[in-house]
Amino acid sequence: MATTTDKKKIQYLYRFKFDNGTEKTFDVVLDGESLELLRDEPKEKPEWTKLKYSQCENCPLSDSVEYCPVALSLAGLVEAFSDSLSYEAALVTVETRERTYVKKTTLQKGLSSILGIYMSTSNCPILSKMRPMTRFHLPYANSFETFFRSVSSYLTAQFLLMRRGETPDWDLQGLKEIYKEVNTVNKGMSVRLHRATEKDANINAVVILHSFGDGISYFIESGLADLEPMFEVFLKKNGPPDAKP
Amino acid sequence: MNERILVVDDEESLRLSLKFKLKSAGFDVDVAVDGEDALEKLKARPADAVLLDINMPRMSGIETLTVIRQRYPQTEAIMLTGFADFSTAIECLKIGAKDYLVKPVDTTELVTRLRSLVRSRSNERALQEVHQQYLGFLTEDVLDPLKKIQSSLDQLAKLPGDAEKERKKVLAGARDAADMIEAKLKVLAQFAKEAAEAVEGSSEANAAQLTEQLKGIRRGSGR
Repeated sequence: MATTTDKKKIQYLYRFKFDNGTEKTFDVVLDGESLELLRDEPKEKPEWTKLKYSQCENCPLSDSVEYCPVALSLAGLVEAFSDSLSYEAALVTVETRERTYVKKTTLQKGLSSILGIYMSTSNCPILSKMRPMTRFHLPYANSFETFFRSVSSYLTAQFLLMRRGETPDWDLQGLKEIYKEVNTVNKGMSVRLHRATEKDANINAVVILHSFGDGISYFIESGLADLEPMFEVFLKKNGPPDAKP
Repeated sequence: MNERILVVDDEESLRLSLKFKLKSAGFDVDVAVDGEDALEKLKARPADAVLLDINMPRMSGIETLTVIRQRYPQTEAIMLTGFADFSTAIECLKIGAKDYLVKPVDTTELVTRLRSLVRSRSNERALQEVHQQYLGFLTEDVLDPLKKIQSSLDQLAKLPGDAEKERKKVLAGARDAADMIEAKLKVLAQFAKEAAEAVEGSSEANAAQLTEQLKGIRRGSGR
């Protein structure tokens, strides 16, 4: 385990309670600055976590890397739900330092939420670009919320680039490219998980993440049309309103 | 009019992404949150095809497919699943699904398959129309006049020897009916020859053209 002090850690405690009374808990701990997943090296590494077992077609990792970092991060979670059905009902509680979220939802929805954190913080060179979103993780987010967080996160990065004198990508074309690559990894991971699981809960959780990636391209192509009415106050001819009543 | 597709999946993000993809490919898309909702939506407005998730709560995709095939045989179905399973795929195809795709679905592949499915469905409908027109031709334009001739012959056989005026009237009627059949059959023979040539590269447009020609023949204009 890395030596990050508790103060600098970000923690998401996921608790899945099922109708039959069973409960499964996962404690996700991240470094507060790098947003890297802090975990002990797994004692047992399943065969399906090997990089060459089913390497994503856009994987930039060299042959010297033995294990897929994403697969390794997911191993415990995947094994825990390998025989679970996607639409199984679950009460999913997520505790963070700031607040607690509770939702009666489907297993696939709860799983996709935690899966997203594990994947983006796993040190996969492609998924790492999703890390800033992890800091503002929103459990069981719907498509619209996820689109907004993605765009907001990307635009923040562009603002910071601009401040450094670099050329920002305000038309979000780079974000579409990022998601195209991310979705190739999601697709590769679903193939890998198919060989590692007996039922569809884990795979469908990845499929949900993939569908967010698919949807955001269309969201950007629409010119964020669904958001525009909400920002009307900023879009009026004279710009944002001043502080006067 | 755009082909109408109904997307049925219990997961909101999947419904939304499929809706985005298919709308931008030119389809008219509606969504349903589960099997029961799908049946309600189809009852309100039929669809050319449904995309059906297999694992759904309450009513599974396979149960929904079974009902759809019974109630809406004109609606084609493509099954979607996160977990590919050969025996389930076979079961779906046996019930009447036209395809079985594993999620996450490749957009290009899905659009290609849907287009091919709805196009072959349209061709099938157009050919059924040709068939209907052809059957109508045989029964109304050939069989009915033939029956008239048979009836005339029966009448002639029963007429008394001195009913010359009546005999002539019946014979004239029979002659008209025979001439009509001959004229129609000549046009039909020419039509059949041209239709055989048009069958190469058969399409919905060709079928529609054949239907119009048959209608023309039946109206008596011949073309």
